[in-house]
Amino acid sequence: MTLLGELALWVALVMAAWGTTVSFAGGVLRTRSLITSGERAVYATLAFVILASLGLISALLRSDFSVRYVASYTSANLPTPYKISAFWAGQSGSLLFWTLVLATYAAVAVWLNRRRLPELAPYVTGTLSAVTLCFLLVTAFGSNPYERLSWLPPDGRGMNPQLQNPGMAIHPPNLYFGYVATAVPFAFAVAALITRRLDAEWLGAVRRWTLLSWFFLTIGILLGMWWAYVELGWGGYWAWDPVENASLLPWLTGTAFLHSIMVQEKRGMLRTWNVTLVIATFLLAVFGTFITRSGIISSVHSFAQSTVGYWFAGFLMVGLGVSAYLVSTRLRDLEATARLESMVSREATFLFNNLLLVGIAFSVLWGTLFPIISEAVRGTKITVGAPFFNQVNVPLGLGLLALAGIGPLIAWRRASVANLRRQFTGPIISGVVAGVLLLALGMRDVHAMIAYVLGAFVMGTIVQEFAKGARARRVLYGEGPGAALTHLIARNRRRYGGYIVHAGIVVLFAAFAGLAFKKEFDVSISPGETFAATDPFGREWTFASNGVSRFEQLNRQVTAIALTATRAGGQAALITTEKRQHVDSRGAPTFEPSTEVGILETWRQDVYVVLAGVAADERAEIRITFNPLVRWVWLGGAIMLVGGLVVMWPQGERRRAEGGYLAPLEPAAATAGD
Amino acid sequence: VVSRRDFLGAAAAGAGLLAAARAVPGQQATGLPGAEMSGEGYLPVRLPPKPGAEPSMTPDERDALERRIACPCPCTLDIFTCRTSMPCEFSPAIHRDVMALVDGGHSAQEIVDAMVGVYGEAILMMPRKEGFNWAGYLMPFAAIGGGAAVILGILRAWRREAEAAPASEAPVVDATPDELARLDAALRRDG
Repeated sequence: MTLLGELALWVALVMAAWGTTVSFAGGVLRTRSLITSGERAVYATLAFVILASLGLISALLRSDFSVRYVASYTSANLPTPYKISAFWAGQSGSLLFWTLVLATYAAVAVWLNRRRLPELAPYVTGTLSAVTLCFLLVTAFGSNPYERLSWLPPDGRGMNPQLQNPGMAIHPPNLYFGYVATAVPFAFAVAALITRRLDAEWLGAVRRWTLLSWFFLTIGILLGMWWAYVELGWGGYWAWDPVENASLLPWLTGTAFLHSIMVQEKRGMLRTWNVTLVIATFLLAVFGTFITRSGIISSVHSFAQSTVGYWFAGFLMVGLGVSAYLVSTRLRDLEATARLESMVSREATFLFNNLLLVGIAFSVLWGTLFPIISEAVRGTKITVGAPFFNQVNVPLGLGLLALAGIGPLIAWRRASVANLRRQFTGPIISGVVAGVLLLALGMRDVHAMIAYVLGAFVMGTIVQEFAKGARARRVLYGEGPGAALTHLIARNRRRYGGYIVHAGIVVLFAAFAGLAFKKEFDVSISPGETFAATDPFGREWTFASNGVSRFEQLNRQVTAIALTATRAGGQAALITTEKRQHVDSRGAPTFEPSTEVGILETWRQDVYVVLAGVAADERAEIRITFNPLVRWVWLGGAIMLVGGLVVMWPQGERRRAEGGYLAPLEPAAATAGD
Repeated sequence: VVSRRDFLGAAAAGAGLLAAARAVPGQQATGLPGAEMSGEGYLPVRLPPKPGAEPSMTPDERDALERRIACPCPCTLDIFTCRTSMPCEFSPAIHRDVMALVDGGHSAQEIVDAMVGVYGEAILMMPRKEGFNWAGYLMPFAAIGGGAAVILGILRAWRREAEAAPASEAPVVDATPDELARLDAALRRDG
């Protein structure tokens, strides 16, 4: 099976090369047989990539240590789920996994659009095949997962303990699903640019794929945050690590595109900008891959040193060059068909929303690359850590939050003063009331205060929008409140799903602002001793050590401490935190010890306990952190995903009505003589 | 359809970029915690205690100081955060140095300067606000400011064009004409 998998990898490479060549040739020569052959090559590439993947999974499950990748990332005693997740845990395996996802998306995209957009289809097929070919080249020549060892080791090196976590098993695939999905809109953009068919036709497919990418990137980022929080033990969920930043970049530009595409659909504007955003999103996804795999930037998440960085640098440069050429030679075709009529209009707020989203993306990119730039310019190494990113991005993020509340309140084309007054009164009152309440409760942190006031303002906007829409339905159709709200969302999923996403963002910002009140205590505690601490809400806690225990479990030796945490006037809870020393199948230690965090979760705050070490006299060194509102981070993320699902959920056929109306084809409209 | 001229232009641009890609600088080692360490790792930072020295700061102030010092391991965290969570040999050692310097009566600035003297500027969690480093702090805001200026310029030009041209487009409303008529009737009914 290993040999079969390796052979399949090479055949897939040939298939992708064939698909690229004949698809572009078929498009240029307008030869149906070549176009069809290119489409079939995409399906064949997928079949062989599946076979290559199955070969590697089989080698991992069989612990075939003659394969270097299997010996490097697994051991005989590694639990089976992690043997499977080892497929994407290392450099070359994850490249093959990436290629598998890409080949699958390519086959689905080609299948769905083979008749829908006949002029674009060969170029879409050709571009997707070309991208697949690039990844297959890197996998086959740069970092081949089937590389053999010249000797047969008795056991493998094992998997890094920090990757032996359910969150880490599912976080990378979701990120890959998101990253890779950006290739499809990119292929459509390239096809539309080549054929100069830059009308709204290609945008439909692109929007769906960008949404899919956004959805999976959101899941991947959230799971990564959760993994960092529960596994790494440093007490937070976002460290502005270069690899974390790399996942945020395409998410930001993709989000910008999902907003600006509405301006093109409604008003025929921002066509150049939208094509640029689609291309930038894909190239930033490739850039993220480059950062993770090249070793140019130090990160806890990056893969070991290899030569694949050169491949991705080349890929990035070619992609950038071809895209720049195509866009610059099609500027006339990309001219807007309408012009902005007022600065106080929905389209103007979308422009500023895009400016901030892209601005944040730029600042993240700039901060990530600044150590390299500084070293190149001054010859001095510097560190750009979390304080830098917080200082630069917090004001920008708050501006973005404000726009999430302002945008929906302003009409398209031109808003009147009366309209503005009517729309803004409610949300502004809710923001002011929240501010006064928080001041009265004693909050003095400026950034947190601004975040909560703006959050209340945006929530006011969202509630007002839902209330107005539901009220209109009740008047029109005589529906009850529940039915009106449900039908309102069901009939305009993009708009109201978007508002649900905004609500999730507000909850996220509120949770982020809670970190301003975090409190940490370093404690040295012996069995039977107690420690008293005051949480950010002024409540007293007592932590009593129940002692240290040592035991063996699966593939690790565990040292654990149990604490009884009691809040004054509340119930006692048991918190256990561990240090784990992983061992191989012969019992020899592998890797450095890892931390297993003890977390007592409530809606108000997490009590987060980390065992730093245990001395010979059983005295344990622990850190106790009160982390306010962390549960709201996961809730906010879940709300965003629900909103994303609502937006993505397929809706009945829509038609463009006469006179520029965009309307759902519903029974009432059908009986009106359509 | 791509013309031959367009195709050759694209091919030339691609070849140039490929050549540029070959000039990418050499790559450094990195990896997961415990696998490989970046930089030079732990270097002792020692200063003689001041005469009659007493601890120069409270534990909370010392923690705040440690949050300004970056750990040399690939964790990208500060000393205070890294030392209890990561499998790192450097942050506990640097923490011990900081405690010794604090006990020796040295101020936060003196300790930071001593750290920079031994490790270089990379030991700071964020670059000092001086010289070229200002580019790091200001560029994002400059870019956004520049972007805003460009957008405002374009919007003004568009608005002038729109004002000069006669209004011809129908209003864009997300509803069918039938729905609009019914909405209009309902609103009239509603007062």
